[in-house]
Amino acid sequence: MSNFFAGVGTILSLELRQRVRGVAAWVLLGIFVVLVALVTAAVWVGLSGFGQEAGAGAGIYSTVIYFVLLLGTLVSPALSGNAINGDRDAGTLATTQVTLVSTWQLLLGKFFAAWLTALAFLVVSVPFLLISLFAGDIYWDTILVSLVILAVELAVVAAAGVGLSAIISKPLFSIVATYLLVATLSVGTLIVFALGGLTTQSETTNSYTYSADGSGDDCGPPEVTTYNVPRYDYWWGVLAANPYVVLADATPSNFDSSGNPEDVFSAFKVGVRTVQIVPDLETSYDECASNNSDNYYDYPTGEEIVAQTVPSWFVGLIIHVLLGAGLMVWGWARTRTPARLLTKGSRIA
Amino acid sequence: MSTSHGIVVDGLSRSFGEVHAVRQASFEAKPGQVTALIGPNGSGKTTLMLMLASLLAPDAGTISVAGHDPLTDAESVRRQIGWMPDILGSWATLSVRTTLEITGALYRLPKAQAAQRAEELIQLVGLGELANRPTRVLSRGQKQRLSLARALVHDPSVLLLDEPASGLDPVARIELRQLVRRFADEGKTVLVSSHVLAELDEMSDTAVYLNHGITASDESIENAKATSRAWRLKATDMTALRAGLLKAGILDTNITIDRNELLVTLSGETEAAALLAALVASNVPISTFAPAVGDLEHAFLDLSKGASA
Repeated sequence: MSNFFAGVGTILSLELRQRVRGVAAWVLLGIFVVLVALVTAAVWVGLSGFGQEAGAGAGIYSTVIYFVLLLGTLVSPALSGNAINGDRDAGTLATTQVTLVSTWQLLLGKFFAAWLTALAFLVVSVPFLLISLFAGDIYWDTILVSLVILAVELAVVAAAGVGLSAIISKPLFSIVATYLLVATLSVGTLIVFALGGLTTQSETTNSYTYSADGSGDDCGPPEVTTYNVPRYDYWWGVLAANPYVVLADATPSNFDSSGNPEDVFSAFKVGVRTVQIVPDLETSYDECASNNSDNYYDYPTGEEIVAQTVPSWFVGLIIHVLLGAGLMVWGWARTRTPARLLTKGSRIA
Repeated sequence: MSTSHGIVVDGLSRSFGEVHAVRQASFEAKPGQVTALIGPNGSGKTTLMLMLASLLAPDAGTISVAGHDPLTDAESVRRQIGWMPDILGSWATLSVRTTLEITGALYRLPKAQAAQRAEELIQLVGLGELANRPTRVLSRGQKQRLSLARALVHDPSVLLLDEPASGLDPVARIELRQLVRRFADEGKTVLVSSHVLAELDEMSDTAVYLNHGITASDESIENAKATSRAWRLKATDMTALRAGLLKAGILDTNITIDRNELLVTLSGETEAAALLAALVASNVPISTFAPAVGDLEHAFLDLSKGASA
């Protein structure tokens, strides 16, 4: 077993040594730091204007974490998407495979290298996370869970990139395929959700009973109007596969005393939970009703919405992990030696 | 080094879709010998090498490398083989030394041992001055040497060298030849492929001919060797040489002039030996008496002709 990890470690250090020598990686990290600094400053200024109870800390923290997820998923495909087929093109894959390194060691070493590189974005944003800790109360469970979910999501992208680079023979196509996968989960789920809601609409009936003089007497027959509402409650499940939703939904929420979200995670969570609620298809407003309490719909607070709806993050997370692991296994099957099947036109060496 | 069994290949076939790269290849390469793998471009040499190197699975047939089957026990095969591919890939940003040290680590050598081995190999292949330069600055010939060094990191008992001499200058070729001979003398099994037949002729003990993926049988090789071929003759007195040849019963039509030498078609070694004895007996001042083409080239050309006919 120690032999196995030693082999993975050798591949990992080989990958990092080749990558870290590149100037591009450092330039990218530099740009990232500048962007995070700007975002931190903007959020701080913006939130302190609202005089939130908890201060700007939670807001800054959640924004920086989301930013790391965004940048990580944008950069990771470029780093991992040519891990195997790039080596094949450079003529270094076969000479590595002919050593005592197994196919799994090779794939896992490259996976860890891609993952650690993506996590480097988290490491350089640590100063800003520390700033957020000083700027206000943040709960440890929020920090712990969001960091774990962030790390897992970056791992999924790294695994998908390495897997696809082993499945697809051309580096350019595998990088694009990895980007498409990330885009499908991040943006595609939103599009499906929005279009799905619009195509499945339900008719809502609203009856309005007027009081001619506003006194509550002299009431005429109710005026009934109908209109269509999109049924997002049919489609909210699609959002479960969105990595940003997974991160928000999994992280324990923080609400102020009025039940309003205190950070971006909680705000997102309230948003995606709200769409679970089945719309009321028959609404009425009666000015002649004996008491008007029926007329005033009691809008729930964010905290109440979260409490009455179901979490979906684990479903999304399981889908992501299975996707990443599945692509790795598929990639392993395509890279394993002695090779039986070769992609058309590809050379093994 | 463990007891080596060399390479035994029987009925080996591999096709890529419609293309039958190797079909019914059978041969044996013995320890302590340099075996030449000869064949025209696209004859399946590299495919065969890849199967021996445990990278490619055969469709049919059996392979034994150092007593192990690459299909069922690739790891044991990999411990024993040093494979030098025909394409030159290297980790571009890493130095020659680091490349060899990491290769050592991939073969599970302890760090200190890997470093020591890297230094030995750098000296062996003559890359001392470039040891700490990134491999991307290496020339083709230098990359070739690095590739050889990489194949030797774990002191393998079976060497698979695919076109090892291409890109090497004449001095480096001679060094390679001496190195390859030394490996064989140490008891290693060496399989070398090349187009440059004259070069293989000088270093190999035996040869395997591959054409359209099929190995030529020993019988057809013997037949090919026995077919008539040209011998190159030169004497200080060319008139006496021509007279001596006619006297020894060589037909005038079998003698051609090539620059300042005579080419004589003979049916085989026996006839050549008899002719030389006759010429010496009749006091012809002979200075050159040799086959006009090398053994390998002669057999190769003859077999190629036979295959295309």
